[in-house]
Amino acid sequence: MPINRPLTHAARCLLASVALMAAALATAQTPAAGHSTAVAAAAVGTPVQRSTSEWLLRMHEASRRRAYIGTLVVSSGGNMASSRIWHVCDGDQQMERIEALSGPPRSTFRHNEHVITFSPQRKVAVEETRESLSMFPGLLKSTDTAIDQHYSTRLLGTERVAGFDADLVQIEPKDKLRFAYQVWSEKKSGLVIRLQTLDGQGRVLEQVAFSELQLDAPVSMSKLTQMMAKTEGYQVERPELVKTTAAAQGWALKAPVAGFKSMSCYRRPAHADLPSGGPAVQWIFSDGLASVSLFIESFDRLRHGAEGVTVMGATHTLARRVSDKTGEWWLTAVGEVPAQTLQAFAQGLERRK
Amino acid sequence: MNHENLSQSEQVSALMDGQLTGPAFEQTVQVLAEVEGARADWYAFHLVGDVLRSQALAVDGARDAAFLARLRLRLQTEGQVEQPEFATGSVDAPALQDGAGVIKNFDKASANDTTLRWKWVAGVACLAAATVLAWNLTVGVGAPAAPPQLAQVAPPVPDQPPAAMIRDPRLDEWLQAHQQLGGTSALQMPSGFLRNATFERPAQ
Repeated sequence: MPINRPLTHAARCLLASVALMAAALATAQTPAAGHSTAVAAAAVGTPVQRSTSEWLLRMHEASRRRAYIGTLVVSSGGNMASSRIWHVCDGDQQMERIEALSGPPRSTFRHNEHVITFSPQRKVAVEETRESLSMFPGLLKSTDTAIDQHYSTRLLGTERVAGFDADLVQIEPKDKLRFAYQVWSEKKSGLVIRLQTLDGQGRVLEQVAFSELQLDAPVSMSKLTQMMAKTEGYQVERPELVKTTAAAQGWALKAPVAGFKSMSCYRRPAHADLPSGGPAVQWIFSDGLASVSLFIESFDRLRHGAEGVTVMGATHTLARRVSDKTGEWWLTAVGEVPAQTLQAFAQGLERRK
Repeated sequence: MNHENLSQSEQVSALMDGQLTGPAFEQTVQVLAEVEGARADWYAFHLVGDVLRSQALAVDGARDAAFLARLRLRLQTEGQVEQPEFATGSVDAPALQDGAGVIKNFDKASANDTTLRWKWVAGVACLAAATVLAWNLTVGVGAPAAPPQLAQVAPPVPDQPPAAMIRDPRLDEWLQAHQQLGGTSALQMPSGFLRNATFERPAQ
């Protein structure tokens, strides 16, 4: 659901009346009720058999080697969405079809890094190449992987999910700059069938799970290829992104944020459809599990007002003005990391030009 | 949209957003001119909007209250001074004959009388005081009370500007761009891509 929807009239009235009521009560500012200490899985003294990167590699390989059909449910920050998924592979070729079951109709097809999203209502097909999809498992195999330095993994036991026995694996961060994960990995194949993102207190911020899954299902790659190619009647859009480097754009991090490496940097051209859409730079970081995007655009007094942090499930957003002698910019940091990590990025960002 | 079923407050809200036309517009303007509560809503909604848009507009709400207090004092003293001036000035010039009615009315309304103007100023002063307190609570209380589709306010983190609701149309674009390109995660392949394709917001 878009969070920029203008306040409905009823909501505005409510907000105003709540504010007035609160003033009448003149109570002291009390933060939201104390959070319940969620039940972190009991620490059973199971010896660690696989390292974090070994677990991740196994999960990754499973998704590449198995064909399946299933229904995936995502719940994040009070919102819920589901989709029907078809996955098939043939050697190095990966194909996927994702049919959104919530919200406006939408089908996404993926052939390796090549992705097309069809919006039948608007008759628009967005075609893009997602480089990040091919970065793995290279990143996991590389020796300098940060994952094992910043996360530890424990096998908590076995649970049944969507009719399958699964290993319940807890991936815990070694510092407070990242979130913890609980992963249910199908016992035989390693396929991830349920995934939770947890904050420092063990509260579930976001959950992705198959509610129903058919492994080794008969999925036809040629049929998916045909469907993916059917763009007639659609206006095909290709987002223009220019690959660049942060240094070329005049940006640097004076203090690196522990574990996060610069992955890529793009220039996003001005957005013709949005009156607010000036050109911006997107600089992407990852620690192997979580990622952070820094969006930097020139500061505009009219559009850029409130600095601060917003939360949507596990995704935090920090907006802040950045200035030095040469100019003023507006930074929006987005990532599935705690607010303090975004804070560290914002403090470390430096203009060098 | 049927504006007849809206409550008075909702009508004021719709008027603010420029959604009313024709008779609904006229009617609501009329209400705004006549009903004190509607004007209070008008003021409060604008203040809420200002505060949500920019913290600069909410820095020191006490200034408004202080200003109104001073204005109130000033009006009181000026009213007393002006009255005799008007009374004496109205004698000679014939052109002022037309103004006599006005002056008469003004004579009747003494400065500390309960005229509409006084009620209005007092009302606004109370409201300003209330909103000063209200702003302090908007951040904490307003967010949970708002409908669930609004972004939730983050729990406070030390050494950072106070959390605020951001309703930048661009934020959605950035969240989407982050999902598409920023999903540089080892969990991306097994589930991140599927998650994002499932959860992707429709383009605005």
